[in-house]
Amino acid sequence: MPGLGLSAGITLTMLSIVVLLPIGALLMQGAQFGLANIWDTVHRERVWAALFLSFRMALFAALFNLVFGVLLAWVLVRYRFPGRRIIDAAVDLPFALPTAVAGIALTALYAPNGVFGSLAQQIGWKIAYTQWGIFLALVFVGLPFVTRTVQPVIEEIDPEVEEASATLGASRSHTLRHVILPMLTPAALTGFALALARAVGEYGSVIFIAGNIPLRTEIAPLLIVIQLEEFNYDAAGAIGIAMLLMSFAMLLVINLIQIFSRKRIGHV
Amino acid sequence: MSDASLHRPGAARSARPASYRKPTEETPAARTALILLTVSGLAILVFAPLIVVFTEALADGWAAAIESLGNRDAQSAIRLTLTITAIAMPLNAVFGIAAAWLITKFDFRGKAFLITLIDLPFSVSPVVAGLCIVLLFGANSLIGGWLVAHDLPIVFAIPGIVLATVFVTFPFVARELIPVMTEQGRAEEEAALTLGASGWRVFHTVTLPNIRWALLYGTLLCTARAMGEFGAVAVVSGKIRGQTATMPITIEMLYNEYLSVAAFSMAALLTGFALLTLLLKTALELRHADALAANHRH
Repeated sequence: MPGLGLSAGITLTMLSIVVLLPIGALLMQGAQFGLANIWDTVHRERVWAALFLSFRMALFAALFNLVFGVLLAWVLVRYRFPGRRIIDAAVDLPFALPTAVAGIALTALYAPNGVFGSLAQQIGWKIAYTQWGIFLALVFVGLPFVTRTVQPVIEEIDPEVEEASATLGASRSHTLRHVILPMLTPAALTGFALALARAVGEYGSVIFIAGNIPLRTEIAPLLIVIQLEEFNYDAAGAIGIAMLLMSFAMLLVINLIQIFSRKRIGHV
Repeated sequence: MSDASLHRPGAARSARPASYRKPTEETPAARTALILLTVSGLAILVFAPLIVVFTEALADGWAAAIESLGNRDAQSAIRLTLTITAIAMPLNAVFGIAAAWLITKFDFRGKAFLITLIDLPFSVSPVVAGLCIVLLFGANSLIGGWLVAHDLPIVFAIPGIVLATVFVTFPFVARELIPVMTEQGRAEEEAALTLGASGWRVFHTVTLPNIRWALLYGTLLCTARAMGEFGAVAVVSGKIRGQTATMPITIEMLYNEYLSVAAFSMAALLTGFALLTLLLKTALELRHADALAANHRH
């Protein structure tokens, strides 16, 4: 087959310039700054709180999306109702809608003078400018992942499996819990991990609704931006490396899930 | 979820088709509840923000919204975003085709590792991506210092925004093409080669027709993301009004200046672009499903 040199050349050159060299520059910056200094930076109360907040909120949002995403995928594949096609297409809206737009739109809705915000205010529930706002924004950006990974798997389920389960006397809920759910688990976990990875690093949709109060609603990416605006490259690099490590750890988990489920189920 | 009807003797034989339920389906009540739950969830989470973009933009009427898009800075932001997208899109298409060709037409060690590297940008925070580019090409770095000295600044200039945009959209085209090309195998290309076609001719007449819809699909995803990228661009652009402020950056600046109508008008225009890509993408899924990666066929 021709084109080995050309395709390898383009791939490796672009990969190096766009991805590898910039990430290498971050790691170099970290190496010059030193491990002890990085640890000191990350361990500062404000930085630690921001990293922990980013991870915790991303985890909560991804868990919500895991449950909601599986239900949504099931409804879209199995049920027929008016407007199903529109709903199906709308699942991708959070992918298509720019994060800054999502951020100001959610803020307009959930701020105390917004449509939903004023309703919540009446029962004393403050959403915008609290951690609830961060949760909401992260649910928004992670919404499509689980649905889109689980949907094809539900489509491929052989109806005979459910029929066999029913003939053997299993109730519907028993079949759903013990036959269907295990089949969906690997794909659902992959979608969950993707949503989590996306949410941990999310910036645009969060900063408008978060309020950005240090120690309480200040996310890690914002802290990087603040350090950069003060030309404090060392601190920005240290936080960046901490976030990069978090991402790598999650990437590793995604791959392990996929290897594990391929062994058990045969496909993802 | 009630399963009472399943266990009632004779339920399946009963002459009332309205109450009969296949044992492989949920009860009508459960179905209705699930549909209502998910549809209302999507309405609150997705449709409401979409609608509010337009109602906020038109809060002072059409004239005010359109006027806010007419000034020089807004025009410059729109032009810049379209330019950046027009540069990033073909770059990603070329990379995606080259990477997919390399990965699906040849066998070599470390292929899985290469795919992981290509996917890497999806798991790096856009802000960290921007930070990496600033550290590599910023004025006080080795490369950046040399470039600035030769009047070729990358950071706080358009090349940096392009680089940041290509970074965050890097895997889109490759990820669409690799599964499609893997599924199609190498037999057709090999046949064409045996018949004496040159490499370019094989690509042009055999491979390209097979992958064109998947290529278009990946390019659409890339376009949608490129137009709206905020985090990575916010770090590298320097936010110079009229020069390096893209549409999303302009939205942020207007919003922070409490110019709500102007911010939401710009947002509505950007949403319009996003809806257009979504529409084209859905049309592709409906009309050319068999030419797309398996997870888009439904």
